[in-house]
Amino acid sequence: MNFPLKSKALSTAMASAVLTAGLSLTSLAQAGVTQADIDNDASTTGDVVSWGMGQQGQRYSPLKKINKGNVKKLVPAWSFSFGGEKQRGQEAQPVVHNGRIFVTGSYSRLYAVDAKTGEELWQYDHRLPDGILPCCDVINRGAALHGDLVIFGTLDARLVALDQATGKVKWRSKIDDYKAGYSFTAAPLIVKDMVITGVSGGEFGVIGRVEARDAQTGKLRWIRPSVEGHMGYIWKDGEKMENGITGKTNATWPGDLWKTGGAATWQGGTYDHETDLIFYGTGNPAPWNAHMRPGDNLYSTSTLAIDPDTGKISWHYQYTPNDGWDYDGVNELVSYNSGGKKLAGHADRNGFFYVLDRTNGKVENAFPFVTRVDFAKGIDKKTGRPIETGLRPGDPTKSADGKKGETIFIAPSFLGAKNWMPMAYSPDTELFYVPANEWGMDLWNEPVTYKKGAAYLGAGFTIKPLYDDYIGALRAIDPKTGDIKWEYKNNAPLWGGVMTTGGGLVFTGTPEGYLKAFDADNGKELWKFQTGSGVVGCPITWEQDGEQFIAVPSGWGGAVPLWGGDVASKVKYLNQGGSLWVFKLTDA
Amino acid sequence: MSYRICSLLLLLLATPLGLVAAEAPADPLNSVMWHEMHQRLLDGAPVVFDERVQVSAPAVAEDSLNLPLWIDATALGEVERLLVFAELNPIPKVLDMQPLKAAPRIGLRIKVQQATPVRAAALTPDGVWHLGGVLVDAAGGGCTAPSIGSGSSDWADRLGEVTARLWSREHHSRLRASIVHPMDTGLVAGIPAFYLEQLEIRESGGDLISRLSLFEPIAENPVLTLDLPKLKQLTMDGRDNNGNPVAAQISLESQTGGGGQ
Repeated sequence: MNFPLKSKALSTAMASAVLTAGLSLTSLAQAGVTQADIDNDASTTGDVVSWGMGQQGQRYSPLKKINKGNVKKLVPAWSFSFGGEKQRGQEAQPVVHNGRIFVTGSYSRLYAVDAKTGEELWQYDHRLPDGILPCCDVINRGAALHGDLVIFGTLDARLVALDQATGKVKWRSKIDDYKAGYSFTAAPLIVKDMVITGVSGGEFGVIGRVEARDAQTGKLRWIRPSVEGHMGYIWKDGEKMENGITGKTNATWPGDLWKTGGAATWQGGTYDHETDLIFYGTGNPAPWNAHMRPGDNLYSTSTLAIDPDTGKISWHYQYTPNDGWDYDGVNELVSYNSGGKKLAGHADRNGFFYVLDRTNGKVENAFPFVTRVDFAKGIDKKTGRPIETGLRPGDPTKSADGKKGETIFIAPSFLGAKNWMPMAYSPDTELFYVPANEWGMDLWNEPVTYKKGAAYLGAGFTIKPLYDDYIGALRAIDPKTGDIKWEYKNNAPLWGGVMTTGGGLVFTGTPEGYLKAFDADNGKELWKFQTGSGVVGCPITWEQDGEQFIAVPSGWGGAVPLWGGDVASKVKYLNQGGSLWVFKLTDA
Repeated sequence: MSYRICSLLLLLLATPLGLVAAEAPADPLNSVMWHEMHQRLLDGAPVVFDERVQVSAPAVAEDSLNLPLWIDATALGEVERLLVFAELNPIPKVLDMQPLKAAPRIGLRIKVQQATPVRAAALTPDGVWHLGGVLVDAAGGGCTAPSIGSGSSDWADRLGEVTARLWSREHHSRLRASIVHPMDTGLVAGIPAFYLEQLEIRESGGDLISRLSLFEPIAENPVLTLDLPKLKQLTMDGRDNNGNPVAAQISLESQTGGGGQ
């Protein structure tokens, strides 16, 4: 019998599995999550095995069993409580494989739940030290699957890999020192059998970096710092080797400030198999007070395109050079193809929506997606740089007492025209569905010096809504023209992820507790369900035994109630929670 | 059908080996949990109560968080597994040891929730469990009180640190090792289960000497005493249920340590 090439590889793999142990045999029988499963996630509807419902991050499912015509008949299948007293923001995107849902909860907890019944299979409560320093709530954004493992990051800056079937820890890897402000709350990305992660802690002057580990063992493969001047490393045959400095030391940073330069990689990355690039966003440069660090401060507020094989930066695009407003550039870069071009969309904290050529990082199009963008008049498509208006907080060293610079009011606020909550792209409508917020801030600068584990801002602020009747706005945006095709306004700020489907629907949650479904073409609200607490998680959908299911975590929290300023009045009576809701069409 | 007949039938069905396995001998400690433990921890396998398995403990636990135990099954000769359990603890299983090259003998400290039988079961190569045990009186509460370490904010700093000493005795080397770990049972509100679950002792060359599975009831900062074959140097490696590692190199007559993290 003639085996095609693929089977040969498989039989070799099986032979080595037989050699290793009986354990591997059972895992083969259970059909673990392969890299191919992850790479094809966007088109396979029986599972969700990646953050973004596909590595490109489109959050689009071709499923259409639930559609505009019948979405009114969507009812809860079950609800699962995260339990305990630890009810804070639930920002996770669940993943589903082999009839099991894996969802993370606040305080570094991970649950495995039977997808059909909602019965808990196991639960892992990570033991957190008291000294953790999460800047913006004790959230977690989700787990990654690879082989028989489910992998997630913790508030004390560890990566933990557990057996999908039993919840037993298989490996644990330390990312960094939580006492210096490091943590990791984003969902890991799986690329070429490596687990790709970043670091959180930009408010504490940590150094951002992207790391690749062997997904099965947790052993480091490469490290790429996101601030110029820092050395990258790669492991070859188990040996750690220098892999070139990021950028050029002191090219865009003065003095020693790059050593505590922030640019935290606190959001998850995406991967595009067509260009074979990892797209990872970087946060604000530290400290907030930009007068202390003249220059572009590379590679803060940027998207880095990293070669997964070499751990080197192929291209970068910086959204906000010399950021002075905390406009992190971490938001996801979503790959899509249009007009024969390989493009990618990014809705930045700074208020601009960018369309990039994802083969080289050149700007194709850029336009505001909120009503006010005060720091720049537009983006110069030739240079790719913002055309700044000059509206920056005053230099405190030039003030009378040297303690506080001139205060400005500027929109968007530092919480961003869009924050972490991921948008969706529909190849059917060719629209992006962006969860935006309309708010501004009073902002002033103060002198600051770095101290390990202390907030490193050099700024003060209060947030103010721009309009009385809404802050949140879900907007359908045409990336070709910048036109806003429709919008849904929400009283409280939107803080949850968006999903769109082949059924012509757009789903997102609201802090008021609803999961809502909209008509993807015109924004008409077709369905809503009150989950009992604010929805700031990410919805997913999959198919099992011929039925389409939709799941979303519920539990109000995140950065808004912590930093909210004047916004607080809009969210004062939103209560905390912690549960996973699953919906399906009613049988009746 | 009465409950008794029912359960008897179930036992007969469940144990094809027949009455030898099903009818355990009368418990000298007369414990209400014995039959349950026999099924749950020993799978209903053949057992004998055997004075050659010695469990030494104070008659009263002065400190329910720290009950010292000395277990010795060396009189049996070869022992494949040594299991320690405290029957009336909410989590009964304390330790599951494969002595391998080490003597089937261990000293440790455990938490007790109330007055309880404390037993050791030693499995000999013929498939029979030999049981020894004592009753320990206790004021109680040891498993549901927070560990002292978790009350301090810096327990994570020294997590997994090992302080150990190895010294030579007439026929063997004795190891005493103390490992910094809160050993949280998960029964205290708001503190998840967090405990050392695995330790392996190896010759520096790499040959396995003994393997231990540890469970929640072992006292905070476990102190273990083991008798090993004569050797000059050994390594102790392990991890807790969160995957935090323990790694130490220990040499004869020198007090040494190793880090966690």
